[in-house]
Amino acid sequence: MIEFKEINYDVVTVGEEFMSDDFLIKPEDVETFAFAVEDHDPWYFDKNAQTPFNGNITHPVLLGNQALLMRHGKYIVPAGLHAKMQYEFLEPLRIGMRVRTRGKVIDKYEKRGRHYMVTEFMTRDEETGTALVRGQFTQMLFPKSGVHEHAKNR
Amino acid sequence: MPRTASVTVGTQLPPLKKTINQRQIDCYSGVRPKSIHTDVEWAKQKGFRAPLVQALMCTAYVSQMMMTWLGEGFVRGGKISASFIKPVIVGDTLTAHAAVTAVDDVDGRPRVTVECWCENQDGEKTLVGSASGFADRLRT
Repeated sequence: MIEFKEINYDVVTVGEEFMSDDFLIKPEDVETFAFAVEDHDPWYFDKNAQTPFNGNITHPVLLGNQALLMRHGKYIVPAGLHAKMQYEFLEPLRIGMRVRTRGKVIDKYEKRGRHYMVTEFMTRDEETGTALVRGQFTQMLFPKSGVHEHAKNR
Repeated sequence: MPRTASVTVGTQLPPLKKTINQRQIDCYSGVRPKSIHTDVEWAKQKGFRAPLVQALMCTAYVSQMMMTWLGEGFVRGGKISASFIKPVIVGDTLTAHAAVTAVDDVDGRPRVTVECWCENQDGEKTLVGSASGFADRLRT
């Protein structure tokens, strides 16, 4: 049983690990993502497209949110701002893969009065163990009062 | 100046322009209450005048540019490093740009690096960073 706590700078510890739920990449997921970002590349959708991968693949960044949302499997995350993202794409993602992302907090720091946490991640095909995507992301943790003043500038 | 068959430092990729609506944000982020992306009142409570586009969504535009250009050389071995420097609000129009800054030999293969950035309709940068991939078999 997981006891969810509200995330803040003090409760996050360097070295703590996260894991996403496993996720089956379905045709509707790729279609929804493509609609959201307006990217209907024929390599993703055209059954007759000549790809170097013996068939269709999906957007390399399709699973970014699976990495970001790992924290939600442990914490209540009322809001936060994403500061940095690094991706490295290793193997193509495809419809029908069952994937899972695992991650670890590798740093947390305070800069100009703002709190940040840095998480590294790796997404793998759960059935074959193949590494698909890896990277790291930095997120700013909001104070309980709401967003920092500097971020309200629009 | 470094060069491969058709890649030269300074080359600019065709820019991508996107006007982002709430339905697209909903599809990207998933609708839920108490979300600064999909709950108007919650976004206001947290200090924003309207829901924010999830910053990660903008890396998809960089990915699209690189995929269209490099194809296989981005799918296997591609990289993106992005900093999100200004919030993007629903209804904003973003233009993603990229320009080649380096062409390096990596084990006999040309790895091209681009500086990339997104600008909003007011010319303000919202994302800055770099991306790279192998340019041995360009799609375009």
